[in-house]
Amino acid sequence: MNRHTADPVSNDFSDSPAGYSAPELSPDAGEFRPDAPRMSRILHRETHSSRAGIAALAAILVIGFCVYALLESGVHAVGQPAWLIDPQTAAERITALPQGIPPLLLGAAGAVVAMVGLFFFLNAILPGRRARHVLRNARVAVVVDDEVIAASLARRARVAANVTQEQVMVVVSQNLVVVNVRPTSGIPIRSELIRAAVEDELESMDLTPRPEVRVNLAETGVIGA
Amino acid sequence: MNGTPRLLNRILIGILGLKLLAIGVLLALLATVPAVGTWWHGWSGAAWSAMQGAFDRTRFPGRSESWLWIVAAAVLVLLIVLMIAWVAQQGKGRVSVLVADDDDGDVPGDVRIGGMLAEQALRSALAERTDLMGSAVWTYEVKGTPGLRVRIEPRQGVAPHALADDVGRLVEALDAVTGKRTPVLLHIASGTRARFTRAERVR
Repeated sequence: MNRHTADPVSNDFSDSPAGYSAPELSPDAGEFRPDAPRMSRILHRETHSSRAGIAALAAILVIGFCVYALLESGVHAVGQPAWLIDPQTAAERITALPQGIPPLLLGAAGAVVAMVGLFFFLNAILPGRRARHVLRNARVAVVVDDEVIAASLARRARVAANVTQEQVMVVVSQNLVVVNVRPTSGIPIRSELIRAAVEDELESMDLTPRPEVRVNLAETGVIGA
Repeated sequence: MNGTPRLLNRILIGILGLKLLAIGVLLALLATVPAVGTWWHGWSGAAWSAMQGAFDRTRFPGRSESWLWIVAAAVLVLLIVLMIAWVAQQGKGRVSVLVADDDDGDVPGDVRIGGMLAEQALRSALAERTDLMGSAVWTYEVKGTPGLRVRIEPRQGVAPHALADDVGRLVEALDAVTGKRTPVLLHIASGTRARFTRAERVR
């Protein structure tokens, strides 16, 4: 589980099956430093939600309410009959509130409104981290969706365990990579081998934050795979 | 990378959420706790009669309507305009010029390189690759400096660091062409298209 394990594989990138090499820092990497603060700001913005969709939703909600209120007050101002409810009547009903409506309906409406409010409020308060990792590269700032990392690790684990694609499932979260392998019945698998392969791949990716690896071997095997 | 006003988004969404939460909790309390009902009667009744008094005092001379209605309508229109302005702020920041600089030569004038040059060059270089499902390039302005945003969608199982290295080499070639080190953001994304097509088995 320790990411500093000094196993022989993790320091030797050349034996990766696809023949990839590790991202080497080019000599001019230092040149990148002047705009490093700006880049780290960009990377922070890319790994966190901008809440643009929620903002649009909130704006549409407010606009809808405003348009309706404008309509009713306009209709009232020119002395026409109200469309749904006259503002005056609405205010009188609201002041008399526990009366005039079944308490169950009132409570349910309150709960629904509170849930919607909680949804918006939590979206504003929570950090809004996206399922992405930052990958270090000498020239470009890179963000990778966790699904891409999982697919890449799954391919590597599948080759190391010598099983088919369907027998490996990898879940990548912020700080943890869980590799679930179902071995083929009768063919033993060493989990250290899989862990070494996956850690080697992670090492060459150089992710921030760097997740730990956990390998789960299923108790039951797959027949005829 | 775009200029979405994130802090403003959080503040406005938070205000709306708190208000809805307060209204919802009040409604639920009114339905369940009788003591809240009596308090609400007293408070809202007083507020409503105060408002009626204000309406009475602000009538147009000789007519029964109050000009407070016009004020309310103006406030609502202002709110709608502000909301539309807020939505228009989302995702802004795309520009069309990648490099704008003085020319050191004898010819007067300056040099401008459009973002389309970089966008098309990178897109056509990436289009040849079989391990990518799709790619897209945009030019954005970040704090006054134009930068490129590259989004690629690899097939399942492609190693992201190898892709990043390859794109880095392409960008370095582009740097040599434009003569300027452009900030580049690469987003290696997974899309629905990548999920439902064959995995990359051999490279």
